[in-house]
Amino acid sequence: MSDMTPLTYRILLALADGDRHGYGIIKEIEEQEGMGTAPSTGALYLALQRMEGHGLIRESPERPPEADDARRRYYRLTEQGRAAAEEESARLATLVRAARAKKLLAGGGS
Amino acid sequence: MSPRLIRLLLRFAPSTFRARYGEELLTVHEARIAERPRGPGLWWLVTREVVGMVWVLARARRGTGRIGERNSRGGGASMLDTTRQDLRFAARTLWRNPGFAVAAVVVLSLGIGAVSAIFTAMNAFLFRPLPFADADRLVMLYETNPEFGWQDAQTAPANALDWREQVEAFEDIAQYSDFVDEVTHIQDGEPTLLSVSTVSGNFFDVLGVRPVVGRGFRWEETWDGADDKVVLSHGLWLSMFGGDPAVVGSLVDMAGTTVEIVGVAPQGFSFPSDEVQLWTPFGWAPENREALWFRRAHFTRAVGRLAPGVDPATADAELQTVVGRLQQDFPATNQVMGAGFMPLRDFLVKEVRPPLRLLLGAVVLLLLLACTNVANLMLVRASDRSREVALRFALGARRRRVAGQMLVESLMLALVGGALGLGLAWVGIRGMSGLTDLGIDGATDVALDHRVLLFTLVAAASSGFLFGTVPALWASRGDVGQSLKDGSRSGTSGRGGLRTVRLLVTAEVALALLLVVAAGHMVRTFDSLRKVDPGFRTEGALAVQITVPPARYPERDQVLAFWNQFEEALQGRPGIQRAGLVGRLPLAGSSWSSQFQAEGWPPDRVGFEILHRRADRGYFETLDIPLVRGRSFESTDGPDDPLVVVINETFASEHFPGEDPLGQKIAYDRAPDESSIWYEIVGIVGDQAQTTPREPARAEVFENRDQDWGRTAWIVVRGALGFEATLSTVRATLREMDPLIPVAESRSLREVWRQSMASEEFILTLLGVFGTVALLLASVGIYGVTAQAARRHTREIGIRMALGARSGDILRLMMAQNVAVVGAGLGVGLAAAWVSMRALSSFLFGIAPNDPPTLGAVVILLGVVALLAGYVPARRATAVDPVESIRVE
Repeated sequence: MSDMTPLTYRILLALADGDRHGYGIIKEIEEQEGMGTAPSTGALYLALQRMEGHGLIRESPERPPEADDARRRYYRLTEQGRAAAEEESARLATLVRAARAKKLLAGGGS
Repeated sequence: MSPRLIRLLLRFAPSTFRARYGEELLTVHEARIAERPRGPGLWWLVTREVVGMVWVLARARRGTGRIGERNSRGGGASMLDTTRQDLRFAARTLWRNPGFAVAAVVVLSLGIGAVSAIFTAMNAFLFRPLPFADADRLVMLYETNPEFGWQDAQTAPANALDWREQVEAFEDIAQYSDFVDEVTHIQDGEPTLLSVSTVSGNFFDVLGVRPVVGRGFRWEETWDGADDKVVLSHGLWLSMFGGDPAVVGSLVDMAGTTVEIVGVAPQGFSFPSDEVQLWTPFGWAPENREALWFRRAHFTRAVGRLAPGVDPATADAELQTVVGRLQQDFPATNQVMGAGFMPLRDFLVKEVRPPLRLLLGAVVLLLLLACTNVANLMLVRASDRSREVALRFALGARRRRVAGQMLVESLMLALVGGALGLGLAWVGIRGMSGLTDLGIDGATDVALDHRVLLFTLVAAASSGFLFGTVPALWASRGDVGQSLKDGSRSGTSGRGGLRTVRLLVTAEVALALLLVVAAGHMVRTFDSLRKVDPGFRTEGALAVQITVPPARYPERDQVLAFWNQFEEALQGRPGIQRAGLVGRLPLAGSSWSSQFQAEGWPPDRVGFEILHRRADRGYFETLDIPLVRGRSFESTDGPDDPLVVVINETFASEHFPGEDPLGQKIAYDRAPDESSIWYEIVGIVGDQAQTTPREPARAEVFENRDQDWGRTAWIVVRGALGFEATLSTVRATLREMDPLIPVAESRSLREVWRQSMASEEFILTLLGVFGTVALLLASVGIYGVTAQAARRHTREIGIRMALGARSGDILRLMMAQNVAVVGAGLGVGLAAAWVSMRALSSFLFGIAPNDPPTLGAVVILLGVVALLAGYVPARRATAVDPVESIRVE
């Protein structure tokens, strides 16, 4: 079993294709999963704190030119974070394949 | 307001978290709130954000998972850290004892939910801003008349026009008709009815409401010739014109006349009534200003806007000067006519303020009861925990700290209870809206807003303090050595604890008695109201409102022919027994009132405030209204025959005491002259309740619908088929006669009758719910205290029984204690009821406050329930095996 919380994985996923600030992460999660699915802001930052502590993400040294709000920090995956996300994705993919085989999920198997 | 709350919560977060993420977190929170439109979705998000933040506080340290970090900064724990520690400790303690926590939260949520629901209703009526610009400068002007018993009556248009011109203190005064009219609009061959409010040209300006498209009316448009304009409500604009701004300026055909759409009212504005779809100017003929009727007929409401900086007293003084002048200039109508004004909101809520106050009083009692109940639970638990507490004292904990911790526990319970209560309140509000309209007609409606949230928070926090303080003080006062010694015996902490618990139960019984007595009074009231004979038969009767349009029935005789044919056609239908016509249904208010003189009366003899209603013979017969004397209307009383009327019994006994009213001629004038119209009284019918079964019928005169004719009327029908079947027969008959005349409204007479008692039913339902909950809570309290006493005395009971006491003796002993507690509670409750039930008197009917049979019944009910609640655990205590019970310890 993985000890990665779903929220951690969702944040890693949101950051996989580029640096984002907190609000951007929320937007990305809602983009992927639908309106109202994002965690509360408090929970998000608690997770960010923990992920920074574990070295999965870090503050991005560069700021996109349009970022004008000094209070906004951008987050970026560390190598360790990317590796963890890949590992978790592979694990989930295995589970999804198993679920397909047991007819829990529609769609052709691969 | 939620960012402020989040900011506040952040202050309790660990400083490292706050320093690094605080500002950023707030920005994101604000952005998320801002992008969400107002509505339930927003409240859901806010709730989640706040709950999430609280969760963060509880977990913030674990994230980095370093034990000992707390002390790494050196020095003592900060106050925030202490609080946080208390919070975690409280959460853990409550978690370990879920039964207690759930019970406390449920009880609290009932209390807080009830308070919050009533507050939401009050908020809608009393606190939410009216949707008018500078609404605090708006006042409702009204007329008063001691002879007619008028206190805040409708205005006569001519009087209000004179105020407008002569009272400088008012920036402007607008008028609107107190009745919302229905007009038939034919669209694509289908008739629809539209609700129209007729207003003066300055209506929108005075209220400070700007149409979203186009304009409002102009003052000149008040008058005939310039009145072919309409303003659409926002809803009608969307539904009928698809929200197209280009409709402004276009001409449409409304009820047979062509009018120009000049504007669209903003969303949410439907003053003076929720149902208004169109506004149109009065279109008064300018020469009306000199006409007598324009000063005699009181049918408009006048809304004034005070000039900036003018205080009400000055305005009133100016108004009174003008009123005095009008009294002298127009003695025929204004001799004793006074005037006054009050803030617009006060006028709009004057009917609902008293019941809301009453209900708020009731829910505050309920919340107190809930708090007492939880305090009791906490005390029971505190005494169970006295060993733990004593141990902590022994280990050097400070009293304040221990008390503080218990208080934090209480607050936590209260806040969770409050959150749940808010949910209950929302459900309750839905239920209440089903019983009655919540919100000012046309101006506000019910909603959960920041005031409700804040109020609930305050209610929850203060309950937390209220029920938390007693056990906190009691626990922290503990004598260390004593408790530790005592502690070996299960959960005993001296007699003091039990005494406090008994005191609390006494209070619970007293509070419950108050609420149940109030509910009992309303039950009796409602029962008496239902027994009042309204004077007409409701079974099987229904009524439909119909307007015969002038476009296709321009002449009087065509309208009369329509009524005749319709009634005949209905009576020819299978299942329909009788049909008739009446201008206004009984119990639904009266159309108009006047004074009168009978032929030959001396000038100083005048009958004041007689009510008028238009009817035909079929009306009386359909509703089984008895003809007491004389005759009803006949076919020989045609439109061109001598005018005849029928009066009710009260009219006969009040205005013709000891005389025979039959054959008398009356005119609706104070001083009849050659222009007066005379009616001969030909019959007397039984009284029918006019507005509410509470009030005895007033003197009323029925005009013959063939002679005093009109286009809008209620057709009453009695059928043997039940409401739906009869109604569809009526509709089918109407469709065959004229498919373009719609049914404006249909009501069963039974529903009309029930509706007349709706406010009593509303109060009764709520007080009934509160009373039941109170009874339940008090029973739980008694059950708890008896069970606890039994548990404490298990050993004593065992020894007594081992020494030969019979279980009956023990039971009697324990029940004697219950009787004392319940008796004291009932006594205190009765004394409180004696003082406070006077507050109910204006709602009662058929009984006086503190009605002895009601009090007696409630005392018996409460006594029996309370003693039963105590009997169960007492019985169980005596059932144990003596040997077992000694060994238990």
